[in-house]
Amino acid sequence: MKNASELNFGEKAVIKDINSSNPYYKRLLEIGFTPGEEIELINTSIFNDPMTFSLRGTLIAIRKKQAESILIS
Amino acid sequence: MIQTPLVTLVGPPNSGKTTLFNILTGKHFKTVNYPGSTVEYSSGDFSKKFNISAKILDSPGLISLNPNSPDEELTIQSLFNHPTNGIPDLILVTADSSQLSRHLLLAKQLIESGFKVILVITMIDILNRKKLTVNHKLLRDIIKTDVTIINGKTEEGIDNLVKIIKSKLTEERKFPNIEKLKIFNHKEYLIKSFEEIESIVNKVIEPLNSDLTKANNELNILNPVLKEVTRKPDELTLKIDRILLHKYFGFFFFLIFMGVIFSSIFWLAAPLMDLVDTFFSSLASYSSEALGNNWYSHLIADGIISGTGAVLIFLPQILILFLILGLLEDTGYLARGAMLIDKPLSKIGLNGKSFVPMLSGFACAIPAILSTRTISNRKERLLTIFIIPLMSCSARLPVYVLLIAYLTPSDKPWLGGFFLSFVYLISILLSIVVAYVINKFNKKLIRYEVESAFILELPTYKLPKLKVVLRNTFENSKQYIIRAGPIIMLLSLIIWFLTYMPNHSPVIDKTGLNQEEIALLENSERLTYSYAANLGSFIEPIMLPLGLDWRVGVSLITAFAAREVFVSSMALIFKITDEENIQSSLLTAMKNAKIESTGQPLFTVSTSIGLIFFFIFALQCISTLAVSRKETGSWRIPVLQLVIFTSTAYFISFIIVNFLRAIGIN
Repeated sequence: MKNASELNFGEKAVIKDINSSNPYYKRLLEIGFTPGEEIELINTSIFNDPMTFSLRGTLIAIRKKQAESILIS
Repeated sequence: MIQTPLVTLVGPPNSGKTTLFNILTGKHFKTVNYPGSTVEYSSGDFSKKFNISAKILDSPGLISLNPNSPDEELTIQSLFNHPTNGIPDLILVTADSSQLSRHLLLAKQLIESGFKVILVITMIDILNRKKLTVNHKLLRDIIKTDVTIINGKTEEGIDNLVKIIKSKLTEERKFPNIEKLKIFNHKEYLIKSFEEIESIVNKVIEPLNSDLTKANNELNILNPVLKEVTRKPDELTLKIDRILLHKYFGFFFFLIFMGVIFSSIFWLAAPLMDLVDTFFSSLASYSSEALGNNWYSHLIADGIISGTGAVLIFLPQILILFLILGLLEDTGYLARGAMLIDKPLSKIGLNGKSFVPMLSGFACAIPAILSTRTISNRKERLLTIFIIPLMSCSARLPVYVLLIAYLTPSDKPWLGGFFLSFVYLISILLSIVVAYVINKFNKKLIRYEVESAFILELPTYKLPKLKVVLRNTFENSKQYIIRAGPIIMLLSLIIWFLTYMPNHSPVIDKTGLNQEEIALLENSERLTYSYAANLGSFIEPIMLPLGLDWRVGVSLITAFAAREVFVSSMALIFKITDEENIQSSLLTAMKNAKIESTGQPLFTVSTSIGLIFFFIFALQCISTLAVSRKETGSWRIPVLQLVIFTSTAYFISFIIVNFLRAIGIN
């Protein structure tokens, strides 16, 4: 399954699930990365990491490692 | 006697919680730590005009009641039962109206825990700009909790909030159930909660135009366009980010901004620092003139007044630094800076959030260490505190200026600026190497291993609120004076004692000298036979391998009070009697100085460069150690810092001096 770190700039996707093996998966859920929610990759730093996603009307920057645990369809 | 009721303010980061706290307290509050910890909260009374007799507590921003760090755990525990104030009678929970779908989680958990809660909807102006509003009466009926809307800027809705607080406080007390916390931790619970919140938000968000609302309600349909609009980030923010967070230019802009801030810390502060310096040195000379040439006059002038000056001389830099950082933070850029620099910093075990404290370290390590509190990961926070003393703080500048002036040929003054930039570059590179090495030995040194993450909301760009920024700048500067002031002051007095006693009234040949020259000659004579000089001779065997003698040793000891004291101590020891131009006469004295035991010249190219490197590394600041002790909770880190940095300083200096001599540079 694809994950959020594979999105291109401006590409939108709907969250399928959050991988529970990531130690920060609960924090990701709490901040609003929940199944069914649409996200869009807005930008990344020059190092491709962290990545900024548009989510629920705000912008959230997370490391690539955390983005990998956000499974999308 | 009836106990004063307790109202606690809770809310997610960026939800307008602090603004509300400022309004309710009328900005009269004090910031304290939870007992036995470094986590801060603010407490105060309601502003008199509201006529509510209750205590009000602010708490650090929370995303949910499920803790993610030791600091959050403490905050949440204290919410249920505060160590000094007990169980809150009422909780005000804030939620940004444009972020309801995320911010309602915390409110929901608080209500479910059994607290008496008022939900305060904030930043309604942002939602109104999207031609939307919140139906707070409907929301109140659904979540069965009082809901009110406020505008933090215009203070609209505050009167209504106050009315609700008053009536809620008269209701019967409720006791929260801490056992509820266990269910908040489940993935299924979180997903289900968000689904519930989703359906609530869809019901309560309405178009500003009331006719349309009515029509929608009657038809009982959810406008899909409405949902689309609430899910769109601020247009202007996206536009600005297209430039400032551009994949390639973004980093370039970041470097330019930091360069400007960095140089302004020095250039803007320099004239103010001169002013402070001039003020205190003239105050000292007036007082000694008025009081005469005796011990208490010297104590007041050289101990107390100069000590106060040593504390206040850094105030301009600290003020300017916090003013600029505060403005940048308030606009929303600072979070973006942390994001841009996170990757390189994570390579050496730090976090994007380490960068502001590191930058502050170039002004003064004390406020810098205090500002590491924003780093939630304990290992990253301790590592950041660990390397902050390596940032070349402003106290080292006068020392570098003196030594570089000594090394620079007088016909090529531009070389001095070049050397100085080089020194700063080296100090940055070295701190990176040290962080890397310490991170490698993390298990032995820092002893914390927590999986690292970076999850940060990038707030909407907005114009900074100058009033709030000024207040924070003032608070930070006050913290510096309170924490560092007494230590620097005490040390100044101890060093005054060591350099003044026991030969307090030296006998000198006064023929042909005026009053001023007599005083200065007496000073240097006194120092030559002082306790500090004894101490200096004692450490001379340690100084000789660096090509230095007891006189530099004494200056290094005195520099423990504040590094820039090194220069004035040198002036005293080398019997500089020309007050008009200390630097040029000190430079001449340095050129002629010879090591007494061997007769070799004291300040050569190699020993001066060695000394610069000593200052780059050495942790010569007792105030830093004290703050490091306080913020890390034990002596472990400060002692490691002192031992590692000072011994490294010695060995690096030793290697450089001997290497330069070996290749023929004396």
